[in-house]
Amino acid sequence: MATTEPTLLLERRARRAYEWGRLRSALRILPFVVLATAAAIATGRPLALALSVGGVLLPLSVGLSFAGRAPGRAVVPGLLAGGAALAMPLLVATLGHACFGPGCMTYCLHACIVGGAVAGAVIARTAVAQGPDPAFLLPALAIAALTGSLGCTISGAAGVIGMLAGVVAAGTPLLVVARR
Amino acid sequence: MEGGERAELRALMARLQDGDRSAFRPAFRLLWPRLRAFALRYLGQADGEDAAQRALLRVLSRAGEYDRDRDALAWALGIALWECRTLRRQQKRRRESLVGPPDGPAAQPTPEEAAIEHDLRVAAGAVLGTLRPVDMETLLAAAGGPRPVQGATFRKRLERALARFRLAWRAKHGND
Repeated sequence: MATTEPTLLLERRARRAYEWGRLRSALRILPFVVLATAAAIATGRPLALALSVGGVLLPLSVGLSFAGRAPGRAVVPGLLAGGAALAMPLLVATLGHACFGPGCMTYCLHACIVGGAVAGAVIARTAVAQGPDPAFLLPALAIAALTGSLGCTISGAAGVIGMLAGVVAAGTPLLVVARR
Repeated sequence: MEGGERAELRALMARLQDGDRSAFRPAFRLLWPRLRAFALRYLGQADGEDAAQRALLRVLSRAGEYDRDRDALAWALGIALWECRTLRRQQKRRRESLVGPPDGPAAQPTPEEAAIEHDLRVAAGAVLGTLRPVDMETLLAAAGGPRPVQGATFRKRLERALARFRLAWRAKHGND
């Protein structure tokens, strides 16, 4: 096809249309991030902390999704995996367990570890299906960690560390087995 | 389009769906001539070009929704067909709004009819003179003069101008 001036102009317009389409598509995850942040705030997470985490999570998710390829494919599994880690401690707190003081160590911290383990398993399974690729794994882990942190800060820094330990403990064996 | 090119387009669209920008130019080069040829066949030279461009922009803006299991060319041509039909519908509507009600049989008016029509024209002209310039311009445009605006904007202006004309007519002559 001859690249005449009108064709070049059309190609530029088409490229713009493509990028806008990708951005529109990437913005579809916005409600999920907003909902996760709202759920954290509604269940008593400090407003500033929840907004800070949500404020990092939102542009990261939209940006990676817009960019596409392996990091873009990691966004939805990361959010879903993090959703499990977010839900566990919030569920325990909503059911009436006081998540502070020594009582926190009995249920909430465990809930964070279990949530993290579920997240690790989900990410590892998806990564195995795609062929383990750091360009997929790292963004998925980052997004899952941020989403899970919205809930696991309920047990303070220990909750977040427990969740990450759960992710590593459940995810690593699956990835190792898949590599063999 | 050959089977090889069809498969190539499918692979390129799958890469675009995934966000691989390096697939853009080859996908564009495969898509544009096909969409253009299709739209030109469907609508002809004048409107086909316009429809083809719209279809191309629509296909690429929706590349993120492309289903890898589907044939990319069939998907793109489906969008092009939709654009062609939409353009055709829009033009039909535009033509309908441009053409007024059909004329009756062209018979010569009697002297009495001619006198009544003359009186009505004079009365209408007098009422028209009392309207705002924009209403007058709109009514003259509806009677065949140049249109300052088109489409729905014109139709709305015409509706408002006719309503004001009726009010002014009633105020002056007491009936419709």
